Amino acid sequence: MTVRCKPLLGTYVEISIDHQECAQAIDNAFAAIEQVQGLMSFHDPLSELNTINQRAHYEPIAIHPWTAQIIIIAQEIYEQTNGLFNCGIGHRLVAAGLLPCHIDLSAYEFGGIEDIGFLEPQIIISSKPVCLDLGGIAKGFAVDKAVEVLKSNGITSASVNAGGDLRVFGSLPKPVQIRDPKNPNHLIDIGSIQNGAIATSSLYFAKRDRRPSYIINPITNDESKLHVNFSESYSIIANECVYADALTKVLALSNGHHHSCFEHFSAQAIRVAG
Amino acid sequence: MMSTPIIAQAKIYISVEQVQKILLPNKVLTKAPIIMSEELQEKMRAASSIRYPFKGERIWKATDGSWLIVDEVIGKHEMITYAVALSPSGSVTGIEILEYVESYGYEVAEADWRKQFIGKTAADPIKLNQDIQNIGGATLSCKHITDGVKRVAVLYDLALKIK
Repeated sequence: MTVRCKPLLGTYVEISIDHQECAQAIDNAFAAIEQVQGLMSFHDPLSELNTINQRAHYEPIAIHPWTAQIIIIAQEIYEQTNGLFNCGIGHRLVAAGLLPCHIDLSAYEFGGIEDIGFLEPQIIISSKPVCLDLGGIAKGFAVDKAVEVLKSNGITSASVNAGGDLRVFGSLPKPVQIRDPKNPNHLIDIGSIQNGAIATSSLYFAKRDRRPSYIINPITNDESKLHVNFSESYSIIANECVYADALTKVLALSNGHHHSCFEHFSAQAIRVAG
Repeated sequence: MMSTPIIAQAKIYISVEQVQKILLPNKVLTKAPIIMSEELQEKMRAASSIRYPFKGERIWKATDGSWLIVDEVIGKHEMITYAVALSPSGSVTGIEILEYVESYGYEVAEADWRKQFIGKTAADPIKLNQDIQNIGGATLSCKHITDGVKRVAVLYDLALKIK
């Protein structure tokens, strides 16, 4: 078994390959994650995401196929959740001090992910100014891309864990633990996952490090209700990590209640009391 | 009254020898330790907000002028050994985690117990929960590594760069 770990996407990304020795496959998988980071980082002013935020309202923008793919996924989740999951709230995260400011926020009335239109499969334009932030979805997307790269490099059994959002594939079910929100050094055995993904939203690390909740309610206009606070841990199991990652926020925003979109995405929810 | 820290997970990913091959493949590396002056320590401390001293013995130089530096970052709840590869002009060409030890109980930075992990490799007997591989949960921040890379950049500017 080979396990390697790199700091990427603001967290520790661990890639673990069973049985085979293939350093090149792991390097390629990490490179895919780095590429997602380069395309979709809000923090990097030169990312493709920030080009979209700066210019998509004025002119058509040619984008990378992965950026096109994640926008389509984000729009699908937006529609299935009736706007509860919205990647178009970057300006509110900037206003809340959670993201850096690259543009003058006061000058615009912002649209959302729903305002992005495709002129061609890789050319977009926005009907309104947008301040997209893919922070709630890009980590899961990057995990999926790493898995695709591992598979295309001939790897048959492996796992990719981006600081708690993980996906496993191969013929063996893999035991998975999640952290207990009451005591995050304590791990709860939740059984095994085979060919699937799990992502978790919880605020124990944010509280420990005295940071505000990063879960933002996209629907409220009341600033005092913008940060959503909770003590539970919300996990979603799905076939792909991008959906698991996004839907944990939907689960947290629904106070742990079942949302009708989970069936659509073949997702299962796990709530651990805090 | 201090309590004994609880080790939540201790993972040893790769050794120093392995990281040399991963980050600087096909390059001949020579150990290039430096003596850390108090002035240099102070400048690295100011630039990175990492308080404990940098150890100058884990520096290697390749024949083409690339560098490999191994260092630890120690946070309140974790200790991470990492390696940074630098091009001859000092830009970061790769970062890799060698070991990750997570603990709770009291400040890891103040504790002597962490010394038992430093320099261990996957072949050593300390294997705490190493069989646990797939830990899900809220996102762990890698901010400490960002601070660590900052201090390596300062080290390059002040002590490694050919002036």
